Amino acid sequence: MIDTQNLILRAENVSKKYHSGGVDVKALDDITIDIKAGEFIMITGRNGSGKFVEGNKTTHLPEKLKMELRLSQLGYIFQEYALIAELTAIENVMLPAMMLESSKVAKSKALKMLSKMNLQNKVKRLPSQLSGGEQQKVAIARALINEPTIIFADEPTANLDSIASKEVLEIFKSLNEHDNITIIMITHEPEELVYASRIIQLSDGKLV
Amino acid sequence: MIKQLKLPFYLAFQYIRRGRKWTLFLTIFLMTIAFINLIFIPSLFSGIIDGSNKQIINTMTGDIYISPQDGNDYIGQKDEVLQKIKNIDGVDSASAKTLVPARLKQGNIAGSWQTFAVNPDNDRNVSNISSKIISGSYLDADDVDQIIIGRQIAGGTDVEENALSLKGATVGEKVTLVFDGKPKDFTIKGIYNSNFVESDKRAFITEKALNQIIPSTKNKASTINIKLNGSANQDEVIGKVKNLNMNAKVYPWQESTGLMKTVSSSFASINVLLSITSVTIAAVTILIIIYVTIINKRKEIGILRAIGIRPYIIILSYVFLSAIYALAGIVTGTAVFSLILVPYFEAHPFVLPICNAVLVLDWQNYIIRAEIIFFVSLLAGFIPAVIVTRAKMLTAILGR
Repeated sequence: MIDTQNLILRAENVSKKYHSGGVDVKALDDITIDIKAGEFIMITGRNGSGKFVEGNKTTHLPEKLKMELRLSQLGYIFQEYALIAELTAIENVMLPAMMLESSKVAKSKALKMLSKMNLQNKVKRLPSQLSGGEQQKVAIARALINEPTIIFADEPTANLDSIASKEVLEIFKSLNEHDNITIIMITHEPEELVYASRIIQLSDGKLV
Repeated sequence: MIKQLKLPFYLAFQYIRRGRKWTLFLTIFLMTIAFINLIFIPSLFSGIIDGSNKQIINTMTGDIYISPQDGNDYIGQKDEVLQKIKNIDGVDSASAKTLVPARLKQGNIAGSWQTFAVNPDNDRNVSNISSKIISGSYLDADDVDQIIIGRQIAGGTDVEENALSLKGATVGEKVTLVFDGKPKDFTIKGIYNSNFVESDKRAFITEKALNQIIPSTKNKASTINIKLNGSANQDEVIGKVKNLNMNAKVYPWQESTGLMKTVSSSFASINVLLSITSVTIAAVTILIIIYVTIINKRKEIGILRAIGIRPYIIILSYVFLSAIYALAGIVTGTAVFSLILVPYFEAHPFVLPICNAVLVLDWQNYIIRAEIIFFVSLLAGFIPAVIVTRAKMLTAILGR
């Protein structure tokens, strides 16, 4: 019997194999993970242990939630920032909001988000004119603009120096604690695990 | 609806505004070439047909021509008929030609060239032969032993039909017109070159000269050519000429095109084949350009999907991008064509035996071809965008 109280996401009996170097590798081997609202989860493990697949396959939602959870309620943050090169910081941030609101409203929300990230003076810069940490903060602002319930972050600090990494993690912590956003983050860095409310360690496709 | 189109248009606009300028320039350049390729050959064919039609009008028939009724050799009361025709609204001028029943020869060389008697003053107003003299001068009304001959009669090593000509006759030399076995010598007063082989196989003497040789042809014409003023309606004038009841047949110039009708019809068939080829080449070129552009933006498409932009918005943004490329290509192509190619070929026309051909843009054809290239571009943007947006989001983002 599944306890669905506060359950926001469930990955149930998930298996995934991939083929690498002529060998079948079990990325996920029949694992089940429940994620509750408001958790700050870090998924960790060695390369090839299935963290990335896990981060992107947690799609088994309780029926009730399935109806409520829309794409706009999910925010994605990628290791490589994934900003649109031709758009300025504010244009990148306002883009998801433009799906739902007028461009005027989207712009004002984007400005607010960028101010929250202390980037109010760099709104008109293109990604190529921003540092790695600044680009990641723009990506976070973009992920937040539609007020998501869950944020998926795939090694968001992998390309950042220690100062910028700490800034990003503090932002996640604040979002989790003050805005009650559920955060699912994949990381390689053991020192980052202190920010998590729960750690999921994978090894050879199994939960450890 | 407009709100839903705003975001894809915004994306397409930003791709162009902030994308690589060199790539944008090359893309528009290729679209321009594809469009010019599509309109060049039809315009050249239009130019050849238009040029040859003008040659027929200006050197042979005028806008309207009148022939004797079947069974008659001549139109009678020529001077009165000409006067009545000149008084009709829409008629600029009219000129009568009388076919001279004589054989033209020089020494031992004789040919089956047609010789006409004209009133030089009238003929100047209808035909442009008087302005095509390349040696000597045109006839005067009082000339009675002077003749002008076309370049194909005079001949010369650079003449297309030299073998059938007088092989190099020059101004001042004598030629003979033989009437019913009686010869009459004429001095070549001028040689003309209209660049229309059929017209350049004719010779002209004055009415006064013909009347002296064959008095029975006085006030008679084999044909009357009418030149209309710019705004005149051809059918209306034909109707008014017919109402003169002069016992003759009245035709628009189009009825005398003969050879050119076949040429025009062949050009139309060639044009269709070339158009299909050009459209195919343009379509494939555009498809490759847009496909390469979109494949290079696979990562961005993945990002857009990941941040919640719906696939149809992404697809539409590339359709708009293609539309902008196509419009830029059409506008640039039209500008290059109209402002560079057309003036260049007007200054350096293609020299053909029927006319000096320039490029003539048929606007109806132009619009059809612009529409074709536009819709092909939309399709070329749509197909690869659909393929790429169907790829797995993360595969696209990570470039796997």
